[in-house]
Amino acid sequence: MLWIGRAVLGVVVATALSAGAMAQQTVKIGAIYPLSGNAASAGNYSKAAIELGVDIVNNAHPDLKDLPLAATQGLPGLNGAKIEVVFADNQGTPAAGQNQALRLITEEKVVALLGAYQSGITVTASAMAERHGIPFVTPESVAANLTERGFKWFFRTTPVAGDIAKAYVEFLKQRKTAGAKVETVAIVNENTEYGTSIASVVKDEATKGGFNVALVIPYPANTTDVQPQVLQLKEKNPDVVVFVSYTSDAILYAKTMKDLNYKPAILIADNAGFNDPSFVKTSGALVEGLINRSSFAAGKPGSVSAIINDMFKKKTGVDLDDPSGRGLQGFLTLAEAINRAGSTDPAKIQAALRATDLKANQVVTGYNGVKFDEKGQNTLGSSLLTQMQGGAYVPVWPADKASGEIKLPYKGW
Amino acid sequence: MSLTLLQVIVSGLLLGAVYALFASGLTLIWGMMNVVNFAHGDFVMLAMYAAFVVWTAFGGGPAASVPIAAMLLATVGVLSYFLLVRHIMRGPMLAQILGTFGLALFLRYSAFWLFGSDFRTLPDTILGAPFEFWGLRVDAPRLLAGAIGLLVILGLHLILTRTSLGSKMLAVSEDAVAAQIVGIRPEYMQAAAWALAAGATGIAGALIATFFYTSPTVGETLAIIAFVTVSLGGFGSVPGALVAGLLIGVVESVSAYVIGPVYKDVIVYILFVLVLWFRPQGLMGKA
Amino acid sequence: MQPISKDHSRIRGAHLVLLVVLAAVVLLYPLLTAKFPVYQRLGALVLLYAIGASAWNIVGGYAGQVSIGHAVFFGVGAYSAVLAYHHLGLPPIAGVPLGVLVSVLIAAIIGVPTVRLAGHYFSMATIAVAELTRVMTTTSDFLGGAQGLTGPTVPRSVLDLSFTSSLPYYYIFLAVLAGVLWLTWRMETSRMGFYLRAIKDNERAARSLGVMAGRYKLYAFMLSAALTSLAGGLYLTMFGFIDPDSGLGILISVKMLIMAALGGAGLLFGPLIGAAILVPLEEISNSVLGGRGAGLTFVVYGAIIMIIARFLPAGLLGLLTRLFKKSAAPGDRDAA
Repeated sequence: MLWIGRAVLGVVVATALSAGAMAQQTVKIGAIYPLSGNAASAGNYSKAAIELGVDIVNNAHPDLKDLPLAATQGLPGLNGAKIEVVFADNQGTPAAGQNQALRLITEEKVVALLGAYQSGITVTASAMAERHGIPFVTPESVAANLTERGFKWFFRTTPVAGDIAKAYVEFLKQRKTAGAKVETVAIVNENTEYGTSIASVVKDEATKGGFNVALVIPYPANTTDVQPQVLQLKEKNPDVVVFVSYTSDAILYAKTMKDLNYKPAILIADNAGFNDPSFVKTSGALVEGLINRSSFAAGKPGSVSAIINDMFKKKTGVDLDDPSGRGLQGFLTLAEAINRAGSTDPAKIQAALRATDLKANQVVTGYNGVKFDEKGQNTLGSSLLTQMQGGAYVPVWPADKASGEIKLPYKGW
Repeated sequence: MSLTLLQVIVSGLLLGAVYALFASGLTLIWGMMNVVNFAHGDFVMLAMYAAFVVWTAFGGGPAASVPIAAMLLATVGVLSYFLLVRHIMRGPMLAQILGTFGLALFLRYSAFWLFGSDFRTLPDTILGAPFEFWGLRVDAPRLLAGAIGLLVILGLHLILTRTSLGSKMLAVSEDAVAAQIVGIRPEYMQAAAWALAAGATGIAGALIATFFYTSPTVGETLAIIAFVTVSLGGFGSVPGALVAGLLIGVVESVSAYVIGPVYKDVIVYILFVLVLWFRPQGLMGKA
Repeated sequence: MQPISKDHSRIRGAHLVLLVVLAAVVLLYPLLTAKFPVYQRLGALVLLYAIGASAWNIVGGYAGQVSIGHAVFFGVGAYSAVLAYHHLGLPPIAGVPLGVLVSVLIAAIIGVPTVRLAGHYFSMATIAVAELTRVMTTTSDFLGGAQGLTGPTVPRSVLDLSFTSSLPYYYIFLAVLAGVLWLTWRMETSRMGFYLRAIKDNERAARSLGVMAGRYKLYAFMLSAALTSLAGGLYLTMFGFIDPDSGLGILISVKMLIMAALGGAGLLFGPLIGAAILVPLEEISNSVLGGRGAGLTFVVYGAIIMIIARFLPAGLLGLLTRLFKKSAAPGDRDAA
């Protein structure tokens, strides 16, 4: 075993040396994502989105001039240095996430880290960054406790569960005022960390908003069958159903609702699985009229978001989905801070991140901007609601960000 | 009994028939050769991709994909037997777990490398609209899978009990040396068992693909149920796999509906542990 | 006889030199790799997984009862540690004795009805219990539910065992592993080890000679459970986070099993050898190939495991032992 270790060590040292020679022109950022395992589909689309971000920063894109760093080549604050993102696979385990964080920091000498999609892995990977004094930006992990750990090097650009739930409740209240029958709500959620945390805040906010949460059905993720859940909904017949699911289960729900001929008046799906490009491709035609939450929406042709969506489509063949869009925004926020820091010193990057103040027109996602509070949470994150119309998601709420009309009730297939 | 509950039970029976179908290949190998195939779920996954490729390449439905997947998987089974299983059978049970676990990862991530991490589905209209009778709705692909599942299980059972191939295979599994003395080549019989088992798994996969999603890791989702089905029914017992599959399907559906989906696996595992306690040889296994 | 014994002493001398060199490398490894934190950590990880695999080896290797549910004991160890911190504010390590106790208790409860089950049924029963525990954990708020629980992220005192460098972990794990191996060795050379070998060779024969097969298998299961929960507790101090999948998932059980099987189950150093091969293989292939996102890491990893099983069904150490026995003259057997 030892000689293998030595041989590999030799190779690593050699590559580290050759990388050192190039270090003048490149700034290395590490990105930890699930590139294998059950969440690999989402992880690989996030990877593609971040690669697109690298292209935007490193090459000149005059058509995206509102976006910081897009019009120029490389980072002007660092004499036009290019950014290189080193990707690592977290394999869906907190252990691999932390091991890879250490490798990126000590072997690849990255100046900051991005990641790690699953909240549980963000916990362990960011703890490693904190100990080494390296900034860690999470563009998509929503678990509330992440920003409650007193970390000094941790930043989160995504809005969290509470903001998301408020958006749903506001939307439903408006429907009610408009005269629709919106009284009872059912929540169907997968029972890992993501589903449980979203479901509990949606339940609280909906109850506070005067709705009757008649039914909460947690179910095991990656299940083999969802018919009992759908039959339960069919029997109780609530006015609004909210799904919180990953891709595999989202596909089963779409199919099973058709098989059992079940259509609630309003069907809301919380992001994740229902936003996965492979869901839209395989099941989009079965869920016409589905309301979804998103932070990214391709706006009118010619707008920044539309151009970026086209670029992503050219690269991957699918529209830019919300988690990947938020991933891209996380990367761009970090790149902008590194440029402003004018240095690859992690402490200066940390200070620059703290001082980040991006306006709504300077971001790709529908956020009102990016500005971190003392815990590292972006205070300007926001969500908009989209609706599946003709096989693609169209932003429909709130009115100032909408580009299409809401069509209700839910149509299905 | 309310109509909904009846619908739940019907759904559970159809689900159970599918469980039985994909467990039957596993039980054959396990019972006849005492080999635990940890790659079984990934065999199902390969068959599902085969169905997906048949559909994208020539627009072929189950009529084309079932025989193609059966032949493809039978080939994979025979290859696995001659290249790997034949050798690890001589070792302890641990070597079999090790070897087939390696095979599972290898197959799973070869598919990942080949097809990418995307989820795929066949069009839901591939077999037409769902049936509706007496107020119950039955999805056509599930009905087809359940029906063919029963036929395949019956076929396997008849091959094992009524044909000379079956009795030779059983003879090898009882006593390979004695079988050799009367002129049966154990290796050929075991290879035939692998072809048969993997072929049945191929049929299962191609049918499951018509109503389930396909992804590189889907085998993992399905495999653990197959293991429970096989041991609940009794290792090596094809009728046992059928009874256990149907039982698990109904228990899962009803407990998900009555108690809650989170607890359906809990109920199945408790049932399983209880059966092991009182009948360690499984429902229909030989003591 | 003269030349044989001379030959024998030469082999023994070479053996001794090899052992001294190995021991020196093992003891100095973290200092040799001080400039390469990833490799220093790799060493600690090898030892951590070796503790788990060696603990598994007691029941799976020596007693021949293949458990695929050892994640239960690993999880109990990790959860006890994190609960001591989360609910009582104690250093995680303070929860470890409780974890050991609970694990032994669980092993006794599962073991009494299941050790009488033959081969595969025991394996399936252990899987079922592990999965049951995992699902129940996701529904328990006390255990942090599906979100999991976080250990002390910023160490309050050295007792929290929360270090940036892997060097202290390495030596802690090394000491624990030495203890586990010493216990295993004591068991191996005791009457219990003798009985377990007899049971594994032929349980019916052993029973007819009056060996209480069930009782000794149960003892082995309980000892194995206790030591596995140590591995879980140590895992928590190093990674500082546990959730149902990373603590109780089936992959945890399978990993212990394949490390022991690959190195040589039922041999004292087998699991350590297995860990020393598989952990670096997994980490290095992930580091080199994982970032591409094509899943190649596991194609390579799976292929290598398959090839080892195909050519060395008794594990690597099994092969070495056989070679060594062959190289010694047949008449030498009584001396060996």
